[in-house]
Amino acid sequence: MPISKSFSPVKVIVLLLTMIVLFTLPFLVSSFILRIATGIMMWIGLALSWNMLGGYMGYISFGHGASFGVGAYIAGMLMTQLHLPFFIALIIAGILTYIFAALVGYPTLRLSGSYFAIGTWAFAEMMRQLVLVLSVTGGAEGLRLPPMLNDNFFYFVMLALALIVFLVAYLFFENSDFGLKVKAVREEETAARTLGLNTTWIKNQVFSISSMFAGIIGGAFAYWITFIHPDSVLGPLIADQMVIMVLLGGIGTLFGPILGAIVLYVGNQYMLVMWGQSSAYLIILGFSICLVILFLPEGLLSLPRIIKRKGSFSRLIQQKNQVSK
Amino acid sequence: MGLFTQTFINGILIGGIFITIAVGFSIAYGVMHIVDFAVGEWIMLGAFTAFWLNVYTKIDPLLLIPFIALFFALIGYLFQPVIQKVVNIKHRSAAMMALAFTFGLSTLLRGSALTLWGFNNRNLVTMLSEKNINLFGITLPAIRGVATLFSIIVTAAFAYFLYRTKTGITIRAAAENKTVAGLMGIDGHRISRLVYSIYVGLTAMSGVFIGCIFSVFPDMGLRYTAFAFFVVVAGGMGSFSGAIVAGLMLGLISSFVSVYVGGAYVFLILFFILYLILVFLPKGVLGKGW
Repeated sequence: MPISKSFSPVKVIVLLLTMIVLFTLPFLVSSFILRIATGIMMWIGLALSWNMLGGYMGYISFGHGASFGVGAYIAGMLMTQLHLPFFIALIIAGILTYIFAALVGYPTLRLSGSYFAIGTWAFAEMMRQLVLVLSVTGGAEGLRLPPMLNDNFFYFVMLALALIVFLVAYLFFENSDFGLKVKAVREEETAARTLGLNTTWIKNQVFSISSMFAGIIGGAFAYWITFIHPDSVLGPLIADQMVIMVLLGGIGTLFGPILGAIVLYVGNQYMLVMWGQSSAYLIILGFSICLVILFLPEGLLSLPRIIKRKGSFSRLIQQKNQVSK
Repeated sequence: MGLFTQTFINGILIGGIFITIAVGFSIAYGVMHIVDFAVGEWIMLGAFTAFWLNVYTKIDPLLLIPFIALFFALIGYLFQPVIQKVVNIKHRSAAMMALAFTFGLSTLLRGSALTLWGFNNRNLVTMLSEKNINLFGITLPAIRGVATLFSIIVTAAFAYFLYRTKTGITIRAAAENKTVAGLMGIDGHRISRLVYSIYVGLTAMSGVFIGCIFSVFPDMGLRYTAFAFFVVVAGGMGSFSGAIVAGLMLGLISSFVSVYVGGAYVFLILFFILYLILVFLPKGVLGKGW
């Protein structure tokens, strides 16, 4: 299938402008905003990597945080114990997370639906407990990495990672035979198998690739934050946020996870600045999941379509007023 | 030998409480086909309701249990239509949406509890808290014995209800095949609502016992969600006898691991076993699940 789907000039201009803004951002804004932008890039990458598994293949995982944490710990241990340079550690972390995910995926992907969700969740919790009791990872003490205080460097690393994940999602999942096969597994797995697709191989590949990206991003996160702890990189909140970002933006779409990541991360940081570290974030997080699922099951991206279908906004409001009268 | 017997009895007694949770959970799964990530939060809310009622009214938490069970059954009854709406959503993966919804609900409840009541541990003090039972040279905390006894009675009553009454038979029919049961004139919505309300009531009631035996804190839900999943998955989703075996198994494993291996390893080993059972015995240890 050809990649170019007739690029309109408007699209090209928007794309170019976005790229220019993204690449000159470090020279335009304060370091505070830059750190938020770095975080947004990281979460866009994570949400897109989760979307490969949960959106395109329909296997909802509540344990994707495990890949993130495993990548973070592998990169961290390579850098502190073997003193490898950052990029080599990152590449090795990616490869090892891929192999790890392939080994884990083989038995786990025999499960489907709710069982898969519980299985990945149990596995992720198991990894957290394992890292807590092992001594090589620093256990409950956490792991301290050599500090590197260059905000621009991390912004460009995260930007590059997010772009790579985006390109992989665009090229391999949106516009290729492989993407069609993956979607066939989502729509009807048995039918896909009867048509001659090697579903075991496809599922394992998608699981491993999406885990690999989460792992690489985890490695970059470890170096950025310089201190990792089982509760911070392997805790359930990481996986929760990935799931929520994708659901919020629109599951199984290319731009949904990006939109969800931006909205949720900016909201989170805004709350952090206004109220400080607060458990109220959990309330808003939980409440937004419930609301999105109840009223916008297709995510924020479907909002324009719904409004169009119901006529204009004003007519919607008029209807509401009539009902209330 | 004394330590071994003590650990064994403790395990059985803890397992007794998990059975009650698992039985409600697996019937709710059977009828509504949703896996409730919020099960631990109902336990937490049950325990906290008992705590605050105890603070303000000075009534013993054990005497509050019937009231709490009824109160949460009412909450479940009123809340069920919302979950039903999610299950009926026109979406390609409606079951997954329901799962994510309960996940959001659990985050919401946990966050609210943390914000309202902070991270502190609280103790539920009952009239039995200081008392012990001596049985053949083994000392048992009286509250554990009472909790297990009570759980067994409730579970037996629930089993009687399910297998011997007309409503119970309709529930089991709906769990087996909702469409056919509907054709036989069974109102699926009414059954779902009833089952969900029983499930929430039973779970909150067990929460009071758990709060009495251990302690009450807003973050406790996550741990008991894990336990409930363990029992339901190990027993096989929707299997009554499986839930009993798995509940006892969970009690014994956690009790023996914490005594002989170390408290830090309890969750590691439990999650490992849960994962292995899921992958290799998806129908549960007795092979009776759906």
